[in-house]
Amino acid sequence: MNNLNPPGESIFSLVIPIEALSPDVPLEEVAEQFADPRNARLLSLPVVENGRPIGVISRYQFMNIYLKLYARELYGKRPLRGFINNTPLLVELGQPLAEAAQHVAANMQFPLTEDFIVTRHGRYLGIGFVMDLLKAMEVQMRANTAELEQAYSQLKSSQLALVQSEKMASLGQMVAGVAHEINTPLGYVQNNVAIGQELFAQMQGVLGTYETLIDQLLDGNTNEEQLAAQMQIAAAMRNDASMQEMRGEMNGLMADSLYGIEQISGLVHDLKNFSRMDAAANDLANPNDCIESALNIGRNVLKDKVEVVKDLAQLPEIMCAPSQLNQVFLNLFTNAAQAMETPGKLLIKSWHDSDNIYIGVSDNGKGIPPDIISRIFDPFFTTKPVGEGTGLGLAISHQIIQQHGGSIRVESRPGEGTSFHISLPLSGDAKSNASALAALA
Amino acid sequence: MSKPTLLLIDDEDRILRSLRMLFFVGYNVRTTTEPGEAIRILREEKVHVIMSDQRMPQMQGSELLRIARETSPATMRILLTGYSDLDASIASVNEGEVFRYLMKPWNAEDVKKVVAEAAAIAEASFAVQSHAEPATETAKPRVLIMDHDEATAKTVHETLGDRCEIVWASDAQHAMEELAKQDVSVVVSDLMLGETNVGYILKTIKQLNPQTQCIVVTSFNDTSRLIELINQAQITRFLPKPVSKGILARNLESMLERFHLVRSQPALQKRQSVEPISNAQERVQAGNFIGMLGKLRARIGV
Ligand SMILES: Nc1ncnc2c1ncn2[C@@H]1O[C@H](COP(=O)(O)OP(=O)(O)OP(=O)(O)O)[C@@H](O)[C@H]1O
Ligand SMILES: [Mg+2]
Repeated sequence: MNNLNPPGESIFSLVIPIEALSPDVPLEEVAEQFADPRNARLLSLPVVENGRPIGVISRYQFMNIYLKLYARELYGKRPLRGFINNTPLLVELGQPLAEAAQHVAANMQFPLTEDFIVTRHGRYLGIGFVMDLLKAMEVQMRANTAELEQAYSQLKSSQLALVQSEKMASLGQMVAGVAHEINTPLGYVQNNVAIGQELFAQMQGVLGTYETLIDQLLDGNTNEEQLAAQMQIAAAMRNDASMQEMRGEMNGLMADSLYGIEQISGLVHDLKNFSRMDAAANDLANPNDCIESALNIGRNVLKDKVEVVKDLAQLPEIMCAPSQLNQVFLNLFTNAAQAMETPGKLLIKSWHDSDNIYIGVSDNGKGIPPDIISRIFDPFFTTKPVGEGTGLGLAISHQIIQQHGGSIRVESRPGEGTSFHISLPLSGDAKSNASALAALA
Repeated sequence: MSKPTLLLIDDEDRILRSLRMLFFVGYNVRTTTEPGEAIRILREEKVHVIMSDQRMPQMQGSELLRIARETSPATMRILLTGYSDLDASIASVNEGEVFRYLMKPWNAEDVKKVVAEAAAIAEASFAVQSHAEPATETAKPRVLIMDHDEATAKTVHETLGDRCEIVWASDAQHAMEELAKQDVSVVVSDLMLGETNVGYILKTIKQLNPQTQCIVVTSFNDTSRLIELINQAQITRFLPKPVSKGILARNLESMLERFHLVRSQPALQKRQSVEPISNAQERVQAGNFIGMLGKLRARIGV
């Protein structure tokens, strides 16, 4: 509101400082005033006594009286006082424009026969035209609307910022989830290395014993007794069953460790892929990869609960923000998992035609009741308990898909499940890739 | 003496293989990925220590440990988990009554030490009949409340007022004076007493007197602090506020019962032995606390 004129000033700009009539002037003088060409635009003349407006005489009313037969003679010398409308339309200078307009609009007569009187602290200041007031009002309303629109778009962009930060927050959660996921392979890899270290120390002992034995054998001076003793030590070591078994197991542990390290690097890789924070920067990417990436990251949420069935067709790469698409899929998968009360199924499909890529995500969770389904894309709409849902997942997803020029819609049957359908347009390049793919198939 | 039996459960085979090797020397190691199989082993064999993962497809580790507690009460229970979520840690205290809450990845030496300690304690408690008659009590049990919340104090009074002497400590100093007079049987405490973090007091109480049973009632939800209190104070209940009167009353009853049992069977005390305090500042606070307590006791002549 601060870029608008103060309301008092807008009324001020409407004021016409007409000299007011005294109630004591004779009617014939009023006739002169109305006849004056300078007053041609005035519908009425204000009547003021001791500085305060006491009424108004309208051209219309005056005519009604004065144009009667002999009226001029009968009333010409009579004072104006007896003929005025003493409930004039009054507007105080300091009044907000809107309030003044409302007051005038509510009290004016049809057809419009009077102007309104402007006062300052109750004292006469001038008059104003009702039409001007209404016009000014309209202008202000338009300004207000513009302001509203501006506020709205500001709100929207700050909401976007919020959404972005929410995205960061949910990413944070995911990172925490993945960090935990890493703890399992890290657990056995670290343990295996510790065991290996211990075993290596033991092996060094064994090796030392053998070396001594060989040295003694090669050395002609060693006596039989010494040799026998050393042999016994070596034999005992060789026959130590637990050591033998541990040595046998060690190969397996080493293989496990390599596997674990691979898993950890995979997770780290996923995480890096997923959170590519150069989100704005678009890239050529295959939406199937985004689906896989989201599945990897969401493994933590899906693992114990959801059987994932994939039916992914070969897709052309499209220009997109891959990390944002990752986010969309992760939101959909998380929602699906959260909609399942008992372990359930998640079906992910992708295909394309010459114009679009299509992705379907269906679950057999509890479904969405028809009375709320129209609201699920609204920001902050959630049916989940506090702390579990912010209601931003689908709003963000919707926004991202829109920014990609695509669409997302939902279909649900309570008790049976929910499907989300996404379509993403193929860009020019991608279209020719798509036809190449089609030719291959 | 035969080797103690260690039962390991994890849904990841590689974890089991790895741990099996860690304990290969010195233990009879049983491993399984199936909680159901673990329960069968517990029922049929003498198991000293059970160490379970928390997150498994068929069953949560805390739930498995709860079953273990009923099936084989003498077996020592340890949770080994990669997830430090609050629900799991609360369940591991209240239901699993775990001896230790360990995190993946673990330090091989530390885990070995914990398991060895647990195995020795289990061996001792196999000899004890768990439902022995409580010894005839001499002194009235004492309950120490460290919580400014009146609702807590009220429930404690209504539940145990007829059988116990109840002390409501307004601050750490007051609590110390009361502890100086005489040991307490049950402590009911928030984690914050005004501005004071009472973690170190709980840890010290348990070090000084292993018989004391600690119930924490609090609205602070900090998983790592809770895990610390499991391992270093062996709190036996963690009740998030607001806690219903019925639940608190029930837990008070069972902790008082537990106190009598542990008191009559000193071998059971070891089952709640604690790890040294890990936080340096708390170690200093605990040291001061013990020193002051000693002086007070000398003055009172306890
Ligand atoms: N697959 C689904 N099955 C059933 N209900 C769903 C499904 N997906 C979304 N919903 C409903 O739509 C609501 C809004 O979903 P949205 O992802 O926007 O927010 P949320 O999941 O509640 O919270 P957030 O994603 O921010 O953690 C959900 O609370 C839920 O009621
Ligand atoms: Mg969601």
